[in-house]
Amino acid sequence: MSLSASAPRASACPRCRSAATEVLALSPVAAVWTAYVCKTCLYTWRSTEPEENRNPDKYPELFRLTPESMKKFPTVPEIPARK
Amino acid sequence: MASSPLPAKESSGTQPKEGHIKAFKDLPEFLQLLERENQLIRVTEAVDLEPDLGAAGRAVSQFDETAPALLFDSVKGYASAHVALNVHGSWANQALMLGMDKTSTAREIFLEFVKRYEKFPGEMVRSTKAPWQEVMIEKDINLLEHLPLFRINRGDGGFFIEKGCIISRDPADWNNDNVENVGIYRMQLKGKNRLGIQVVPEHDIAIQLCHAEECGQDLPLAIAIGNEPIITIVGGMPILYDQLEYKMAAALQGQPYQVVATEKGLDVPWGSQYVLEGRVLAGKREGEGPLGEFTGSYSGGRNYPVVEIDRISHVRDPIFEACYLGMPWTELDYLLAINTSAPLYAQVKSEIPEVVAVNAIYNHGFVVIVSTRRRFGGFAKAVGMRILSTPHGLGYAKTVIVVNENVDPYDLKQVMWALATKVNPIGDVFIIPNLSVNPLDQSAQPEEISSKMIIDATTPVPPDRRGNFSIECDSPQRTELWREKLKTMRKEPSK
Repeated sequence: MSLSASAPRASACPRCRSAATEVLALSPVAAVWTAYVCKTCLYTWRSTEPEENRNPDKYPELFRLTPESMKKFPTVPEIPARK
Repeated sequence: MASSPLPAKESSGTQPKEGHIKAFKDLPEFLQLLERENQLIRVTEAVDLEPDLGAAGRAVSQFDETAPALLFDSVKGYASAHVALNVHGSWANQALMLGMDKTSTAREIFLEFVKRYEKFPGEMVRSTKAPWQEVMIEKDINLLEHLPLFRINRGDGGFFIEKGCIISRDPADWNNDNVENVGIYRMQLKGKNRLGIQVVPEHDIAIQLCHAEECGQDLPLAIAIGNEPIITIVGGMPILYDQLEYKMAAALQGQPYQVVATEKGLDVPWGSQYVLEGRVLAGKREGEGPLGEFTGSYSGGRNYPVVEIDRISHVRDPIFEACYLGMPWTELDYLLAINTSAPLYAQVKSEIPEVVAVNAIYNHGFVVIVSTRRRFGGFAKAVGMRILSTPHGLGYAKTVIVVNENVDPYDLKQVMWALATKVNPIGDVFIIPNLSVNPLDQSAQPEEISSKMIIDATTPVPPDRRGNFSIECDSPQRTELWREKLKTMRKEPSK
């Protein structure tokens, strides 16, 4: 299935509030759900989820991410030196 | 009415006998057995991906140790999708997997598992065709259109594949089947054909990815989802690097294990429902997580390797198999229990035959209980240290409790008795600083580094003459006789 140009865009990522969001997929049965991905924090969500997972104003503060907090992510495993 | 990939429910079936070895050709065949044994609930009503599937997975994990598997036959948004949950999520289901009676205890399953483990290696056989080759997608891949991925817990960073068998080879030893790897590593959907993969340094795939990245090459992999139950158990087993999982699965199922090779030469189970083929991108790390993990807490975010998928294959009308994980106990605790205990036992027993049994079923073996005979004073402490140096010990075991040979590590009442009566902390508890641990251990400081503790809860033997231990009580004569008699009287009260 190709993504329809008319697929509703999300205004902001629920988790990091970035405006850089994309439609990830439409439900194979038309018009049941739309899935989104945030290009900033890579959060994904679906239009039919409980509101706390899809509404930036209802997203739990406990789980919120920012570009600054993502800079603190450890890298696992370390990238080895080229031989 | 939802369609089902399983035949109509049968009214009766063959009763598995204890010790009878039964290999299942695929997941539907095992689900049919579970259904005959009243160990499967089919849900035909249309369900939401969120929160229904996570909620049902959580709810069934709160059943007792006989919890059934769940099969959802109608998922909103998909014309035809099936989701299986909790397939391994009880001792009953795992006993049936091994052809044992479904009332078998964890200890009985451990003993049967060890017996079959000792038959390693079994045989891997290759076929040229498999049912999963029936449907193939190579263009415009969008994973979410084909796989009903869903959020498990509300704080998860996305939709995860948490129960796929990931197959890879060692680029430094490509044609050596024995170092081909089958492992279960969580994967997060991050794009149409893009996944994050959790590769921690203690996992075998980390060795292979390192070899690929040192040469600047992507690491090819295949992801097999929805398998007969044995290979999933083996994929989560901490066996040695040069022990091929398919040969272990063959030993456990008592028959050669049938696989089909992909074009890249990766061996995939013949009976898989879905097979995804792709590459771990060399030198690439990207934000991943969190995921509510087996520790009972969210994992936090990390920069993990990235996978691109080039091909999706699946059987017609496939079943997507998933696993609820979160606050223990969940299916994951059952999935990483006996298969953790048995290799630990076998690896230590091969060098220390005095070892009697190992229990590593709690939190993926962060705590290990081992029972052993002692040849001389100090012996039990050496057994504890040997546990820490096994492949699993390097990444998981943090606390090792060593008990006498007559204490059952699977009976926590007995273990607590040993802790209560045998331990004098100054001489029996010792802590080793700064050892390696899995990054998901949240008590580590710094991350991936932890102290580890051995508790010697055995009775000291000469020349260790500490304490004032006297003769342990045993049972009066005829106790066994009376146990059976009283059981009968309880079942059949006097008329």
